[in-house]
Amino acid sequence: MAAPIVPETESIRKAVSLLNAVAAGRFPRLLSRLLQKLHLKAESSFSEEEEEKLQVAFSLEKQDLHLVLETISFILEQAVYHNLKPAALQQQLQSIHLDQDKAEAFASAWAAAGQDTIEKFRQRVLTPQKLETIGWQLNLQMAESMQAKLKSPRAVLELGVSNEDSKNLKKVFAEFSHQELFEFYNKLETIQAQLDSLT
Amino acid sequence: IGFLFTVTVNALEGKDCKESVKLIAESTNLSEEQLAFLISGMYTLLREALRLPLSTFKQEVSSGSTQGLDQIPEDFIADFSSIVFGNRRPVSEGTAQRSRLPSVQDFKWRVDVAISTSSLARALQPSILMLLKLSDGTAHRFEVPVAKFQELRYNVALILKEMNDLEKRSILKIQD
Repeated sequence: MAAPIVPETESIRKAVSLLNAVAAGRFPRLLSRLLQKLHLKAESSFSEEEEEKLQVAFSLEKQDLHLVLETISFILEQAVYHNLKPAALQQQLQSIHLDQDKAEAFASAWAAAGQDTIEKFRQRVLTPQKLETIGWQLNLQMAESMQAKLKSPRAVLELGVSNEDSKNLKKVFAEFSHQELFEFYNKLETIQAQLDSLT
Repeated sequence: IGFLFTVTVNALEGKDCKESVKLIAESTNLSEEQLAFLISGMYTLLREALRLPLSTFKQEVSSGSTQGLDQIPEDFIADFSSIVFGNRRPVSEGTAQRSRLPSVQDFKWRVDVAISTSSLARALQPSILMLLKLSDGTAHRFEVPVAKFQELRYNVALILKEMNDLEKRSILKIQD
């Protein structure tokens, strides 16, 4: 078998024993909820209220609950990293002494939502600024202060660039004449040719 | 008078003319006030004439109408015509469109393929990085996911098509 994906550290062992003690009823739902939010950085999956409800539902103290949630997230992140098959995941979990029914719950949740989660991770970008929206306007300029009777078509491109730090979208405006737009388009075509040569 | 024309044309082109104006002031015996009148009058006249595209003018018409104004000498009209029609017409830099949104001055890009990341041992995900420098001096660097890039390409092609359609339509063929 491949090298263990989940190392058997002290905290892992404790988490496993806690997990084994937990009732199996709500477990699958917890798993799918965690899977959905896994790709969002630095966002805890549960609000204060929800955490309290979980504490009651699983009869766990706050600290123990945190340990359990973190461990499950860690296991899922490892599954994403190595692109594990559900069966392999189940095997790994059973080798660290997780009960079979819990391991099966992991495997089926992973089989259902695993690929989507991996895809979301693939789309994650490291650069702080990302192009989010594209808008445009085509105008026919009739005149301006220095020149009358123009009739020149001009395009205005609006690019919405998101910044990781702030929640606002920075709008970048650029104006193009027909010729300028044509040149821009040719450059985009070059990029496309490069992308095509990759596949 | 001829020299005044040169200065005015330079001013229209956006060049700095403080030196030339000083020279003129020293070499003639006109008062400062008269000089100011002359230069601003010529500047305004030329600017308005240059605003209209060439096709609306007829050379003789222009000469005729300026003759109506008092005491404009013949050689002035000749100089004036040569500036508006001839090869002394200011380079389009000065009369070019100044009231516009920034245009793209420089567009650099690169295509990357992420082989492995901290979240995925085998990612193999292509992505595009763009650096857009605009004419107002600002630079914007951002990543473009492949799907967004397709959207951008599609939209630009769409605008080009609309521009083509617009230019073919008869509204542009109306002579004014």
